[in-house]
Amino acid sequence: MITAERKPLAEIKAMLAPYRKILVVGCGTCVAECASGGEKEVGLLASALRMDAQIEGRTIEAHEMTIDRQCVYEFIDKLTEAVGRYDVILSLGCGAGVQAVAEVFPKTPVVPALNTTFIGETKESGLWVENCRACGDCKLGYFAGVCPVTRCAKGLFNGPCGGSKNGACEVDPDSPCAWQLIVERLDSAGRSDLLEAIYPPADWSKQQGKGPRKIVREDQRSES
Amino acid sequence: MKAESNLKNVLTQHNFAVTAECGPPKGADPVVIQKKGDILKGYVDSVNVTDNQTGVVRLSSMAACAILRQEGLDPVLQMVTRDRNRIALQSDVLGASSLGIRNILCLSGDHQSFGNQPQAKGVFDIDSIQFIQAVRRMRDEGLIIGGEKLSEPPRLFIGAVANPFADPFDYRVVRLGKKAAAGAEFIQTQCIYNLKRFAEWIRQVRDRGLDRKVYILGGVTPLKSARMAEYMSRQVAGMDVPDNIISRMKGVDPKDQRREGIAIAVETIMALKYMEGVHGVHIMAIEWEDVVPQIVEEAGLYPRPETSRE
Amino acid sequence: MDQISAGLNITIFFCRQLDINQDKNRRAIEKELGPRVRFFPLPCSGRIEPLHLLRAFESGADMVYLIACPEGACRYREGNLRAKKRVQYAQKLIEEIGLEGARIELINKTAAMPANIGAIAKELLARDAKVSTSAVRSK
Ligand code: SF4
Ligand code: SF4
Repeated sequence: MITAERKPLAEIKAMLAPYRKILVVGCGTCVAECASGGEKEVGLLASALRMDAQIEGRTIEAHEMTIDRQCVYEFIDKLTEAVGRYDVILSLGCGAGVQAVAEVFPKTPVVPALNTTFIGETKESGLWVENCRACGDCKLGYFAGVCPVTRCAKGLFNGPCGGSKNGACEVDPDSPCAWQLIVERLDSAGRSDLLEAIYPPADWSKQQGKGPRKIVREDQRSES
Repeated sequence: MKAESNLKNVLTQHNFAVTAECGPPKGADPVVIQKKGDILKGYVDSVNVTDNQTGVVRLSSMAACAILRQEGLDPVLQMVTRDRNRIALQSDVLGASSLGIRNILCLSGDHQSFGNQPQAKGVFDIDSIQFIQAVRRMRDEGLIIGGEKLSEPPRLFIGAVANPFADPFDYRVVRLGKKAAAGAEFIQTQCIYNLKRFAEWIRQVRDRGLDRKVYILGGVTPLKSARMAEYMSRQVAGMDVPDNIISRMKGVDPKDQRREGIAIAVETIMALKYMEGVHGVHIMAIEWEDVVPQIVEEAGLYPRPETSRE
Repeated sequence: MDQISAGLNITIFFCRQLDINQDKNRRAIEKELGPRVRFFPLPCSGRIEPLHLLRAFESGADMVYLIACPEGACRYREGNLRAKKRVQYAQKLIEEIGLEGARIELINKTAAMPANIGAIAKELLARDAKVSTSAVRSK
């Protein structure tokens, strides 16, 4: 999933300063799973903004709406009827959601409430960890299912740096050294041959593309 | 005929090599480098220049190497993959060779979060092993990554680093094997304080026959004080300073601790000299370059062999 | 000065396990104080959501209590520990808008306290007021 964290309230307030009628829009998918942009968080943020305005003697209107996905137009459509009544959309979607909403409603300013952080997994409740940088050329098959691009702080493809100690990464001792994991798992899977092989330079053009990447699937497209 | 690497000559002529490290200043003054070069001249075969070590901005390694070269020393250009992508790295490899720099040490580098630019984007386009392989192909086949031909290949003696004290221990020698296979010709190791563990590692190296594929220079850093020993043991990633060294440093009066640190360094070098599979030492006297001549002399490694450089 | 004399509105969330007769036991005080005191029974204190706490302030509370079972004595094992973390989260959030975090207080019931929510509430209301009326409702 895509993970995100709420921006500090002060930053959100600064972006909203010119506006009075705010449509606070959540997303029911990734950011709901990571408890940053779902219905509950929309409620919390809207409530905090209303109280904050009241304390400062301003009147605002903060209306709450959460749609299933902010990155798919057919769901964004559900906002169409309401949008016209508001000065601004405060989106609690990920970066893709914010942009999709902005695309659909070019006349209404859209501001992000979240900092989109990474693609990750829910390790345990309340703990999310990054494990993919969407490099466009998945190499996990050679690294025992541990991504060296993401989980090694230096993105090393050919073994641990000189700082790996007791299973921890030298850069962040709270994180496991990806290479310790790769070595252990390849060993136990009987694939130490992969540990001896030199992995060639990555093709980052698959990640960087020529600007934004796109996927076109003719079989999925509608005729029109 | 253009000058060859002195380090390569010393090693191929079966001498026990001595290299030292020189850290460039945090400023544009060339005199600092010249002075360090003067101190080391005649006492070491080659001088490594660190590349923005620990992610701290310093005078460029390439420029410092060029200055040392003018002073008549044989520099080892350290290059990390942290700050440059493959375009910049390969370009600098060509540039170094054109300046008469004849040795290169390929590293990944310390993570930028440790230095004084923690907000910098870490590049890590390729890793140290991929870099070694690229330089080797540039030199031997005249080809850059992707296969395009160079008009003139670089002339470089190619080195890499190894840390026998990091984990996973048994993989360390596998990784050294990869570096050798990628094309490294000499290896400089992390500073050695734990001789026992180092001896165990070098045994594994010999078992794999790697000591016949690469020249191995053991790293030695003289301790300045008991405090430095404790700091290195606790705070520096990948460093193994055993308790007996710390207590030995603590056991002497603070004003004699430098002397003790030098003694430990000399003893370590003597031990390395007689260890099968070790071909030299690399002395990293951090901001203490002027102690190097004394250590070299006391270890019986002075004078340095004359090699025909031209 | 006690909290009622200080003019404070109090909201009390509490774990239903504390008092099986909670419905009956809070009736008298509700009648006496009307909307100035509001009770919200929860199946377990761990079910509290930061959003509940914020909504309480939005609807005019000055002080919000969450009464949980003693630590280690939660019927659902960890409910009251979770409650503690949720309270801390909500405290940080209200501090971001300039309300004192102390306006939310988690109380773990002790053996010394009565097993009657009405009586517990009385004791709470009689406490010295630590805060003044909230800026959310006073403007
Ligand atoms: S190799 Fe690439 S696609 Fe696969 S997990 Fe890592 S970053 Fe993601
Ligand atoms: S310690 Fe391990 S994870 Fe951290 S940078 Fe080094 S190799 Fe990568």
